[in-house]
Amino acid sequence: MQDNISSGRETDLLVNGQGSRAPPTLDLARALEQKLALLHEVDHRVKNNLQLITSLLKLQARRSSDPAVKLALDGAQVRVSAVATVHRRLFRGEEVEQFDVAAFVEDLVDDVIGGSGRRDIQVRMQLEPVDLPAAHAAPLALLISELLVNAVRHAFPDGRPGVLSISVGRQTDGLFVEIADNGVGMGTPAAAPGFGETIVTLLSGQLGAQRETTDAKPGVRTVIRLPVNGRPRVLGDGVL
Amino acid sequence: MASCNPLNVLIVEDEVLLAAELGYLIGEVGCVEVGHAMTSQEAVAMARELRPDLALVDVHLSDGPTGIDVARCIAHDCGGVALFMTANVRRLPDDFAGACGVIGKPYSEHGVKMALVYLEVCLKEGRAPGMPPAGLQLAPAWAERWGLCDMPRSA
Repeated sequence: MQDNISSGRETDLLVNGQGSRAPPTLDLARALEQKLALLHEVDHRVKNNLQLITSLLKLQARRSSDPAVKLALDGAQVRVSAVATVHRRLFRGEEVEQFDVAAFVEDLVDDVIGGSGRRDIQVRMQLEPVDLPAAHAAPLALLISELLVNAVRHAFPDGRPGVLSISVGRQTDGLFVEIADNGVGMGTPAAAPGFGETIVTLLSGQLGAQRETTDAKPGVRTVIRLPVNGRPRVLGDGVL
Repeated sequence: MASCNPLNVLIVEDEVLLAAELGYLIGEVGCVEVGHAMTSQEAVAMARELRPDLALVDVHLSDGPTGIDVARCIAHDCGGVALFMTANVRRLPDDFAGACGVIGKPYSEHGVKMALVYLEVCLKEGRAPGMPPAGLQLAPAWAERWGLCDMPRSA
């Protein structure tokens, strides 16, 4: 018994020079593992719940006989899906604080244009990988989703075919997203901004982004310039 | 997509609203929903009885994370192919438990429809018509079986 006590004290001294007992490394590793598992669990819950919300909106849209209600619900579903797109990629890699804008823009374009059923709209994408702090990902996704839906609805109305060009890239102090179409052009601005336009304005403000809409002759070009506090995408130790 | 032999699809999902919406999507691409199971026992029983061509399987069911066993059973005993639909893509075994692939949640409606159309061709012709659509990740064994490894990769 005496031997055990004395060897125990020796171990304590080895573990922590001050002679007090430090938590064994095994407990720390286990605690970290548990926390990580909990984080993953929460992530799965969020992903599942977003799926639930999207499905619910879609089901409700199917049930409604009023076309205006259907349109409104579909619009809401597209917006929720934009946020869901961001979450789909969350935790896929190890990184959860930075998001690759190019990757989720690709997803968004595929979902919005593909989901619209407009096979007559050709899409051209030029996407440069660029990271964005995760907190900005959902607002940016919503913003881009609005611009894409606008382009489909207003640039190419009544089944008019066309080309939609989307680019994402780095600029000196941040990133830019450009959406250009060769559609019907700007036309006369509406008397009062619709809800979609309101969302775009509010979210641009929140992100500290500048929005520039110009006549592309033909069509319209919109550029969103976003200051980003995050770092440019890096591979290993080097800068891309 | 009128087809003489539409693909028979079994839905294995414990969230009824998701299952209901999946049912609509299946119909919209010309496939047929043959049933909906919410537990692994139900799923295995239905798969044995109905012998679906394809089963959409969530990993987490009412009786726990049993979707993986369901997929294995469908592959080995029921002459069908499973496709995982889960938020938990990283926890799938390397061999995908015999399933042909996975769609990560939250999925887009468009993504699911494109995946169904693509898999219908793969299952009927034994060969993939091209690279899988966005949102669908094929299991390595099935990608090889469907000739994807021979295909030139797009830039």
